[in-house]
Amino acid sequence: MNAVINRNSIDTAPGQTIVAASDLSKRVPTVSGDLDILSSVNLDIKRGESVAIVGVSGSGKSTLLGLLAGLDVPSSGTVTLARHRLSELDEDGRAKVRGQLVGFVFQSFQLLPSLSALENVMLPLELSGQRDADRQARALLQRVGLGERLDHYPKQLSGGEQQRVAIARAFAVGPAVLFADEPTGNLDNTTGSRIIDILFQLNAEQGTTLVLVTHDEHLAQRCQRRIRLDAGRIAGEE
Amino acid sequence: MSNTLMLALRLLRRDWRAGELRVLVAALVIAVAAATAISFFTDRLGRAMVNQSADMLGADLALVSSRAVASAWLEQARQRGLRVAETLEFASVLLKGDESSLAAVKAVDDNYPLRGFLRGSDTLYGTDLIAQRGPQVGEIWLEPRLVAALQVELGEHIEIGASRLRLGRILTYEPGRAGDVYWMAPRALIHLSDLDRTEVVGPGSRLSYQVLFAGDETRIGGYKTWLQQRLGPEHNLLDIHEGRPAVGNAIDRAERYLGLSTLIAAVLAGVAIAMGARRYSERHYDVSAMLRCFGASQNDILKLYATQLLIVGIVGSALGCAVGWAAQHGLFALLRGVLPADLPGTGFAPVIVGFLTGMIVLAGFALPPVLRLKAVSPLRVLRRDLIPMPASGLAVYGAGVAAIVLLMWRYTEDVSLTLVVLAGTIAAAVALAALALLLLRFARVLRTRVGVAWRFGLNNLWRRAQVSVTQILAFGLTLMAMAVILLVRTDLLTTWKTQLPDDAPNHFAINIMEEQVDGARAFLQQHAIPGSNLYPMVRGRLIAINGVILRDHVSKEAANHGSVNRELNLTWSDTLPADNKIVGGRWWQPGGPGQAVVSVEQRLAARMNIGLDDRLTFSIGSRELEARVASIRTVQWDSFRPNFFFMFPPGMLDDFPATYITSFYMPPTQKPLLADFVRSFPSVTVLELDLIMGLVRNILAQVTLAVEYVLAFVLLAGFVVLYAALQASLDERLYEGALLRTLGASRTQMRAGHLAEFCLLGTLAGLLAAFGTEVIAWLMYTRVMDLDYSFKWQVWLVAPLVGAVLIGAAGYWGTRPVLRQSPLVVFREL
Repeated sequence: MNAVINRNSIDTAPGQTIVAASDLSKRVPTVSGDLDILSSVNLDIKRGESVAIVGVSGSGKSTLLGLLAGLDVPSSGTVTLARHRLSELDEDGRAKVRGQLVGFVFQSFQLLPSLSALENVMLPLELSGQRDADRQARALLQRVGLGERLDHYPKQLSGGEQQRVAIARAFAVGPAVLFADEPTGNLDNTTGSRIIDILFQLNAEQGTTLVLVTHDEHLAQRCQRRIRLDAGRIAGEE
Repeated sequence: MSNTLMLALRLLRRDWRAGELRVLVAALVIAVAAATAISFFTDRLGRAMVNQSADMLGADLALVSSRAVASAWLEQARQRGLRVAETLEFASVLLKGDESSLAAVKAVDDNYPLRGFLRGSDTLYGTDLIAQRGPQVGEIWLEPRLVAALQVELGEHIEIGASRLRLGRILTYEPGRAGDVYWMAPRALIHLSDLDRTEVVGPGSRLSYQVLFAGDETRIGGYKTWLQQRLGPEHNLLDIHEGRPAVGNAIDRAERYLGLSTLIAAVLAGVAIAMGARRYSERHYDVSAMLRCFGASQNDILKLYATQLLIVGIVGSALGCAVGWAAQHGLFALLRGVLPADLPGTGFAPVIVGFLTGMIVLAGFALPPVLRLKAVSPLRVLRRDLIPMPASGLAVYGAGVAAIVLLMWRYTEDVSLTLVVLAGTIAAAVALAALALLLLRFARVLRTRVGVAWRFGLNNLWRRAQVSVTQILAFGLTLMAMAVILLVRTDLLTTWKTQLPDDAPNHFAINIMEEQVDGARAFLQQHAIPGSNLYPMVRGRLIAINGVILRDHVSKEAANHGSVNRELNLTWSDTLPADNKIVGGRWWQPGGPGQAVVSVEQRLAARMNIGLDDRLTFSIGSRELEARVASIRTVQWDSFRPNFFFMFPPGMLDDFPATYITSFYMPPTQKPLLADFVRSFPSVTVLELDLIMGLVRNILAQVTLAVEYVLAFVLLAGFVVLYAALQASLDERLYEGALLRTLGASRTQMRAGHLAEFCLLGTLAGLLAAFGTEVIAWLMYTRVMDLDYSFKWQVWLVAPLVGAVLIGAAGYWGTRPVLRQSPLVVFREL
């Protein structure tokens, strides 16, 4: 594994654009003809900013997130992530960018069931070849309040606890941009609020850019900016 | 240590802990253990059997020649590190007072025999013991019937030519009694140094030189090749296969069977591995997607899983080797009484064979599904429904087929066997898949007429038609492999048993004169001794085919064959011998065809390029006889009954002097009658075959044992396939089960549903197996094992039943977690 973290590769000063989408479209073939999931989306996200992408189900939020994070390729248009034009990179090139700059938090947590909480957090650190993965992972789990549950497996943890492990994992490599897909979608209000607190605390501490997809208004309100999607187009911005 | 290796190790350790690798490793261990154990077993047993066959030949290789063998050839053998012994055979008259008898005398040197032992006794028909040395200078050893005929006592002297030799021992068994048993006079053994003193060997004497060679296999092989390029028409080279067809056939068949069984065990385990690997791969889509999110490139994923697979391969194979080694040791310990005491030790080769088998099977069957992991899209973290494009059929099946071909080549070194099994498997897989779909469609029709449990089961099978077909195919092929191996085993054993029944003839009586025929027949009848017909024999030589001199008609190799060079026994008969079979032309009607025809043995005909209606010219005495080939016949050479290359209708050979031959079974209790028989018919020569038959029986018993043992491994491998197949679909079943229970299905309903589904699956697989077994077994029997085939109707009853019971039970047991785990836990884990 050679995705070595190199913060210099961010090459972006605070306040400058770190994620940019220009004329972004995503079209998928269906039985009844092509379906436009996203059409001509343009947006700029500044370094250190927190942005919520909101909209109803099927408005194209998750598709946009996937494109911005380089998990998928657009049908047309470009995505620039810390000056890397993702559409010009092949899948391995995008993987390298992800490894260096991006962290993820998912609605369904996506913890590896065969790994303990500690091992799940260690994984990205190990992938990037860091020697003290164990120490860093312990510190992060301590930070999200799971210092006592290090050796527990995902199935032994509650939903909120699993999401906290996922957050610790996302912040482990000190990402420049953190993408979160409905991070509280599977959690009750109280637990969701706790998760959001932790997410924003870590975001502030590490100066990470936060891009999250949600239809939770409470969560969206805590972000500096909200981009509203409707039927694959930007319908407004607050 | 590189980062990838460390990570691979760490992830692997965690997977192991989580039980993700169990099926994969278990199947691998079984494959390797089976291959190693069978390899050890056949290696050791094979060497033991070869040793025993060598014991019968008295050497690993024997060169028979009508002229003295060039000393340079012997020197060459010695230089290659081989041991060499020389013998010389000739016919001579032995005298004791007024008594005289013709004997086949064999002069042997101090090295004789190189393999096996001479056996002898101190009293006539007394207990015989192994003799550590052959006759000393000045000594002669005689067979019991010579001792009886000459009325000589141990220590008394016998005249042979110009010398007098002392009777040192009564000879009961002599290794390497090569040659034509029908004309073998009673045997006498003397020391080679006494030969000159006898003065019986001079210019023009008919002599048979035999040089024996022994040494390790590669050296013997090398020397054999060297020698074969130099052989002249006067030479005949015998090795343990050619020397003794009765044993050679059994060993050949056993080797083929064992090779085939190992192969099937390995392929079955391969199928299990493929299924295990597929499940492993599917359960790692999320990991791969996560790793891709964390920045791992496709190449990183590839390296990671390839490394993991390599580690699994090395560890699993090593474990399998250890298990295999222990298994064969355990078996040999259990069977100490049955197996020869001087069993050769184990070499290291079987471990390498087992290890390589493991790696090949893993590479062929596990690599393609695991490699799919590299193609997992990172977007899967957002959309779990994204699964990688399936690996191309060519990659999956190509790798599997390549692995199978590699293994076949290793185990059989036999092109025809490899082709039959490979073509059969591929054709069977395609045909059976279609058949499975058809059966499934048919079964679906029944769903409106059955209870809710069966409907649930039927619907399950139909809904996942593709998976169901794959499973029916996997189970069907597994049952088929088991059935074929079981069938071949049973028929092999039956063939061996009928080849040498307990009352197989153990004596040959030859040189029976025309006027003695009635007397000999009456003697045998009077003492209730069962025997074969008495066949007349006329000595003759085949000299031309269709008017072309023999040497010009056949290939050089065929021309060197013993049956061309020597005089053969020609016989006549109205009826076809019971164990002969006409494979071309027709046998003549009783009373004779009224024209000059002959029936020829099949292999000789093939070797000498003789076809139906060819004109054969024989030289008998000073006259010639011509006959048209009316039929081609197969002969059971290993039946211990009189057998003939050429048979004529009665009347054709009337003008030539004939003697008669018969074979009969005389139990040990009746042995004293033998002396009476010899005294009543002094010119008749009786050959005792008990010792040779004992050896053959012993070898067959061991081969039987090996065959049984191998079967156990094939069955074991089959069960692993069943387990792996169940495991492979367990996740989906868990999920569905949880859903159904959430919807209110009771445990009893679900249990009955599962039972119905698996019983049906097993029945369909069994039907498929029966069909495949019939085809494959027919191909194998007729093309490979050289056995007779008959329709196996039992398979059509047993296979579906066994399938239903076995797979029903295994499925029922394997899906218990579906009922046991709470739906909530299942939903959270999957």
